[in-house]
Amino acid sequence: MLYNETMLAIVKEIRDIIKWRELLGQMVSREVKARYKQSILGYFWIILNPLAQMLVMSFAFSIILRIPTNATGNIPYSVFLFVALLPWNLFSNSLSSACGSLVGSASLITKVYFPRTILVLSTVVAKIIDFALALTVLVVYMVAYQLPINLNILWVIPIFFIQQIFTLGLSLFFAAANLLYRDIQYLLSLLLLLWMYLTPVIYPADLVPEKYQFVFQLNPMSVIINAYRQTILGGGMPNLVSLSIALAVSVAILLFGFSYFKSREKIFSDNI
Amino acid sequence: MSNTVIKFQNVTKKFAFQSQKTFKEFLPALIKGEETSKGFTALDNISFEIEKGESIGIIGPNGSGKSTILKLIAGVMSPTMGKVEVKGQISPLIELGAGMHPELTGRENIYLNGAILGLKKKQIEANLQSIIDFSEIEEFIDQPVKHYSSGMYMRLAFAIAVHVNPEILIVDEILAVGDDAFQKKCFRKMEEFKQNGVTIIFVSHSLEQVREFCNKAIYINHSKLIAQGEVNKTLERYKEII
Repeated sequence: MLYNETMLAIVKEIRDIIKWRELLGQMVSREVKARYKQSILGYFWIILNPLAQMLVMSFAFSIILRIPTNATGNIPYSVFLFVALLPWNLFSNSLSSACGSLVGSASLITKVYFPRTILVLSTVVAKIIDFALALTVLVVYMVAYQLPINLNILWVIPIFFIQQIFTLGLSLFFAAANLLYRDIQYLLSLLLLLWMYLTPVIYPADLVPEKYQFVFQLNPMSVIINAYRQTILGGGMPNLVSLSIALAVSVAILLFGFSYFKSREKIFSDNI
Repeated sequence: MSNTVIKFQNVTKKFAFQSQKTFKEFLPALIKGEETSKGFTALDNISFEIEKGESIGIIGPNGSGKSTILKLIAGVMSPTMGKVEVKGQISPLIELGAGMHPELTGRENIYLNGAILGLKKKQIEANLQSIIDFSEIEEFIDQPVKHYSSGMYMRLAFAIAVHVNPEILIVDEILAVGDDAFQKKCFRKMEEFKQNGVTIIFVSHSLEQVREFCNKAIYINHSKLIAQGEVNKTLERYKEII
C-alpha cells in the first residue's frame, strides 16, 4: 500500500519535473555560471581544486605514509588516488551543496510554486558538470602514464548511475531535514569527513582486515569507489554481487529520501 | 459551468512556533512536560469565492493574514484545515525579484525568472525585446544586476512578471515602492490585464487604490473574515471598525 503510494508520487514528480524541465536547465546554468563570477581563474578552479588536493594527498600518503596500491603495483599512487578522489568529491560536493539548496532559495520557496525537487536536482546536476570537467585531468594523466584500459571500462557507466541514485536519495533527505533543523548541515560536514576515511579512497580496499569487510559491503560508496578502481585501473570486472547490493541499498535510500522530502514539502514555507 | 477560479472552503491556517529557542531551554522543558511549541492561528475558518475576471482587493491591518491568503492562492503553503482550489496560470508579483541572482546579467535573469514563473524558453525569446523595452534598461541589460539601482531592479522584475500572460495575477504591495511614473505604468498594465479578463488579487493599504481599481473587496481582521462583497460597501465596513 505504502509502496504503491510512493511509486505513484514518484511518477507524478517525474512528470512535473519534465513539465518544468526548462526551469531545471536554467537553475543548473545559474549554479554553474554564477559561482565563479568575479574570479580571475573562473572555471579553472574546478580543475585546480582536485589537482591541488591530489598533489598534497599523494605527497602525504605515498611519500610519508607509503600506502601500497595493492596488486596493481605498477600504478603510481597519484593515479590510484585520483580515480577514487574524483567520484568521492562528486559525492561529497553534491551532498553539501544540496543540503543548503532549499535554505538558500528561501525567497523562492515562500513566493512561487514549482516542484521543490528541482532545487535539489539542479545542484546535483551542476556538480556532475564539474565532475566531467575535472575528469579531463584524469584522462590526460592516464594517457601520459600510458595506462592500459580495456572494454571493462564501460562498467563505469552503470557504476556512476548507481552512485547518482544513492547521492540523489541522500540529497533529498538532507535538503529537507536541513530546512527544518539547521543542525543538519554541521552534522553532514562531520559525517562526510568521517565517511571518507571509512571508504577506500586513500587506501586500497583489500587492506581492510577480513572481520571488518562487512562494514564496507554495506557502504555503497565503498563498493562504488572500489568498482571504479577495478574497472579503470585493473581492467577487470567489478564484483557484481557487491554492486547489486549497492544498487539495492541506493534504490532504498532514494525511496526513503524522496518520501521524507515529500512528507515535509507541505510545511517548507511555514518553517524556512 | 461555474466561473469560479479561486475557492476557499473553511480554510484555517495555523503556525507552530518553537517556544524555547535553544537546546539548553528545550531539554528541561521537554522533561518537565511543558509545551514545546505554541500555536498561532493566521487564518480562522475563512470561505470565499473569486470568479474569473474579477478584481479583488484584500484589505486589513498589518498581521491580519493577508499575505497568508496570497501564499495559499499561490500554492506555496497548504491550509491546516479546509480546502483551497485554484484554477489557472498564476503570476505572483509578490516582492518583486525573488528569483533574481545578483551575479547574473539582466538578460540571464530574464531567462531564469521567466523559467521560475513557468515560461518556456521560446516564449521568453519571443518576448525578450518587449521585456527589455518595458523595463527601460536596454543599455544595462548585459550588466550583472547587482550593479542595478533598486528602481532598475524593480522595473526589470515587473517587466518579466507581466509577460507571463497570467490568468490570475497576484499583486502584493508592490506599488508602494517606485516613483510615480513607474506606479502609473504598473496600473496601466494592470488595467490592460483587467480588460483581457485576467483575475487580479490586489493587496494594498491604500484604500484609494483599492476603490479605484477593484470591483470587489475582502476585509480581514485578526485572522477572521469581517466583510466581503462590493468594494465600496466593504470599504465602508472597514472605516466603521477602524
